[in-house]
Amino acid sequence: MSSALHKKTAGTPSQGEGGDARAGAPRKSPSAPPGSTARRRARAGWLFASPALLVIAAVTVFPVVFSLVLSFCEVRLEYGGLRFGSPTLAHYEALLTHPEWYRALAFTLGFTIVSVSVELVLGTLTALVLERLGAGRGWILALLLLPWALINVIAAQLWSYLFNGTYGAVSWLCEQVFDTQPDILGQPVSAMAAMVAVDVWKTTPFVAIVVLAGLMLIPGDVYEAAEIDGASAWTTFWKVTLPQLRPIVAIAVLFRILQAFGIFDLPFVLTQGGPGTATQSVAILGYRILFQNLDFGGGAAVAVTTAVIVLGCCLLFLRVFRAQVDEGGRA
Amino acid sequence: MSLNRRTLLAGALSAAAAGSLAGCGGKDLDDLLTQAATVPRRPARLTWWVSEIPSRRGSVVADLIIRAFERRHPRIRVSKINALSTSDGNRSAIATQLAGGSPQPDVYLGDTTWPAQFGHSALALPVEKLLPSGFWDAYPAALRTSSTYRGTAYAVPFFTDSTYLFYRKDLLAKHGLRVPRSWEELLRTSRTVQQAGDVQAGFLWQAAVTESLTANVTEFLADAGATVLDGRGRAVLGGAEAERAFSLMAEFTARGVTPRTVATDEESDAQDAFVNGRGLFLRNWSYAWVNASTPGVSRVAGKIGAGPRPGFEGTGRSGVSCAGGWSNFVNPSSQELGAAMEFARFCAGDEVQRLLAREAGVIPAMTSVLGSPEAHAAGDPAVLRAADLRLVARPVQTPYYPQVSKALYTPANAVVRGSLSPADGVRAAREGLRTALEGKAL
Amino acid sequence: MSRRVLRTGVRRYVNAVNLGGLLIAVCATLPLLWMASASLKGPGEISATPPTLLPKDPTLSNYETAFERNGIGHYFLNSVVVASLSTVLILSLAFFAGYALARLPLRGRGAVMTALLMLSVFPPIALLVPLFLMERQAGLLNSYPGLIIPYVALNLPFAIWIMRNYLSGIPGELEEAAVVDGAGPLRTALTVILPLARPGLFTAGVFSFTATWSEFLLALTFNGSDDRRTVSVGIALFTSQYQVPYGVIFAGAMTATVPIALLVLIFRRSVVSGMTTGAVKG
Repeated sequence: MSSALHKKTAGTPSQGEGGDARAGAPRKSPSAPPGSTARRRARAGWLFASPALLVIAAVTVFPVVFSLVLSFCEVRLEYGGLRFGSPTLAHYEALLTHPEWYRALAFTLGFTIVSVSVELVLGTLTALVLERLGAGRGWILALLLLPWALINVIAAQLWSYLFNGTYGAVSWLCEQVFDTQPDILGQPVSAMAAMVAVDVWKTTPFVAIVVLAGLMLIPGDVYEAAEIDGASAWTTFWKVTLPQLRPIVAIAVLFRILQAFGIFDLPFVLTQGGPGTATQSVAILGYRILFQNLDFGGGAAVAVTTAVIVLGCCLLFLRVFRAQVDEGGRA
Repeated sequence: MSLNRRTLLAGALSAAAAGSLAGCGGKDLDDLLTQAATVPRRPARLTWWVSEIPSRRGSVVADLIIRAFERRHPRIRVSKINALSTSDGNRSAIATQLAGGSPQPDVYLGDTTWPAQFGHSALALPVEKLLPSGFWDAYPAALRTSSTYRGTAYAVPFFTDSTYLFYRKDLLAKHGLRVPRSWEELLRTSRTVQQAGDVQAGFLWQAAVTESLTANVTEFLADAGATVLDGRGRAVLGGAEAERAFSLMAEFTARGVTPRTVATDEESDAQDAFVNGRGLFLRNWSYAWVNASTPGVSRVAGKIGAGPRPGFEGTGRSGVSCAGGWSNFVNPSSQELGAAMEFARFCAGDEVQRLLAREAGVIPAMTSVLGSPEAHAAGDPAVLRAADLRLVARPVQTPYYPQVSKALYTPANAVVRGSLSPADGVRAAREGLRTALEGKAL
Repeated sequence: MSRRVLRTGVRRYVNAVNLGGLLIAVCATLPLLWMASASLKGPGEISATPPTLLPKDPTLSNYETAFERNGIGHYFLNSVVVASLSTVLILSLAFFAGYALARLPLRGRGAVMTALLMLSVFPPIALLVPLFLMERQAGLLNSYPGLIIPYVALNLPFAIWIMRNYLSGIPGELEEAAVVDGAGPLRTALTVILPLARPGLFTAGVFSFTATWSEFLLALTFNGSDDRRTVSVGIALFTSQYQVPYGVIFAGAMTATVPIALLVLIFRRSVVSGMTTGAVKG
């Protein structure tokens, strides 16, 4: 922990340089022998970067293009292998006119917004507690890592047991408190809430640790200034702590939002998308179209629409939080 | 320079991928059928995707079958792969593998609702020409129909499944009540025993959004005399009969006869509650008999009975059961088509069918075995009564069956939860069926 | 300093903080302890109402079933192979790419970095169909490379992002000295930069390993065959005839979780500092 702290405090001044500090990195490179060395280094740059970039392109960029083609095709499995039929708009027509797609999208967006907000609030609270904690902080941090490192599917199985309507511990607790036997995963609202709860349990530690790192970065003199001004703890938090946290939180939130948007494991194990289609995420819908209905063209249409939405959100986010992301990336 | 390299590489990559995808003509069906027609004499290895077959005496039934097969074909070795226990999860898992062109498993056990979709998508070998003439005479006609898609069979019979009403003999006797003959009576009986505090739940069944619920809905609709599809395969669900069936499903939960958890229960959950003594009645498939009457697994062993499902008062219909079961399919990408086909045929044959009657808690597919000494010796009421049932088929003759099934179970689940009225549920199901049958559902 | 005075001054506040810490620890671990306890319960007790806190009659039979019937040991091995090979490949590719992006003159750096950030969170469902079909044609389904290749590609962007940010912070003098000595970029990278890059590599490694270790959707669709299933898939597909076999599932889950949990606890300092470095910088 402390090592990270030091690194960061050492790095903070560079924020002040503003502009394109990192792009300025080559300036640090020896400028003395210009000719051959510079060219060699420039060539090495692409040589070093290209294997990684090629792998990424082969598995992401190229398939997205391929998806686009597929989504406009009749694709059928035949005994000889795949058969690509005539171009068609049918997959998009089926998808965009079907209420289920909109429901899946709404659930996914709702889940993303609610779970990320809750994680952000709880994560910040946890970080504030951890920051003030003296002895034992290391251990509590370590314990917090356990849910984070747990395999999603295991977390989902564990909670599906705890939520079981007949013998689950959570259901039993609810029964003791509210005196009725709840069917947590059997009712849409409670099933969604349960899913958010599991995601919160598993991911809040990540947010908490990131926010904690941000808290440790805030230089002490800022607080001293606030104290001299006679600001209350509450005002200090809103006026001093939070703005300072923004760059880090922005990155973490972007990360979490897009991760939550792809949610598959939890509904797959916990509710299979039910009850009805209440917890069917876009990813579950896509998986079903693919491997339940064996409709590859339709699956490709889901892939393309999802990709468009994600890229759109990402661009929007980068536009709005450009400054924060840059700072966060540079801190 | 760098840009050039990038463009070149991207171009080469796309060309390679496009080429490999287009050039997948490969084997055609006739080659596959020729290969499948001869049983190899050289050593061969097979894998069999099989779920746990309920066992009467604790032996592993699949292993017994494999051993019997290996005695007949000493050069062929068979190993099994554990399949999943739920029909839907199992289907997605195996379909994923088959669609990926995996040569394994060579033979897979699949639900009798699969042939149309799997045949349509080339995930199963058409076996019609590989079966001896007169083969189907030994099996129920309904099984042949469900195994066939567009005139070709895609599945080889293994065992059938029917549904029954399982009940607690002891509790009924305690209250001096008889086994209900109608749903109305079942509701009354349940309330009586529940109010006496002898049991938590009256009637346990399955209403999770899976195939389980589709089977239940099909039965309730048949009980009420409602039609799902007309003779030309169009969705005509509606009318007072359909509403009666949907109303009954809502009534079970509304009156507390069925716990609300039914909305997430599949067969294993309902059976689990029953064997733990939490229910008076259970609707389940025939295998539940073995599980519920095995001491050690079941707390109600020796206290239960099984009979045909009740019907509605005044219809004169009872004993409706969904036609279910599991058949063997051959993976068209198998490297051992001949051996695989031989194994599937062997499982449908006399030796294995008798073995099933003796050792397994399922209903053998071969009709003649049902009356055999083995079947009588087993004494399983589910097996012995199999012939009395009124079998109804699910609308399986469509490549869009998963969507059709979904069109039935989604609104039905909402009706059970009380979030949709029975009339609206029926309407939603009809609309959903129409979309699904056109292949436009998701 | 003054904050510390303030803190120690208000006793009640300290108590609230400690209570909060306790609450956090309990929330994080109680469900896990419950799982550990349930994995030792027999078939009757696991579905008992009311649920029991500790197994009345602890049994290891669930573990036996998990290993013998469900092959959890095999799934575990698959996961180890896939996750560690992926991590090694990710780190070696990310090191060079990160170095190039951080220290070498590279045109279009800004665009590449933005693209990487966006790709690092691309949902796998958007790639599932084309990748499945491509791997099908290439015969890569149900093989280790079939999973490792997409894992490497999907986790590379974030790893590069971390490495690039980490390496940017390394002072340039050492590198300059190497260049003056006549070392080429490759030698500089390997002899000068690599030893300094260890903490960054550790961070990237932790993130890559946990991500690949936990991944489910691709593992389920690409490596669904029994002999190639990873722990995630194996545990999602655990089956039994009589009921949802929670006891066996949890026995399998414990088998897969305990080694990782021990690693996390042993290396907790590095993991936490790594996570914060990565997260803060990434």
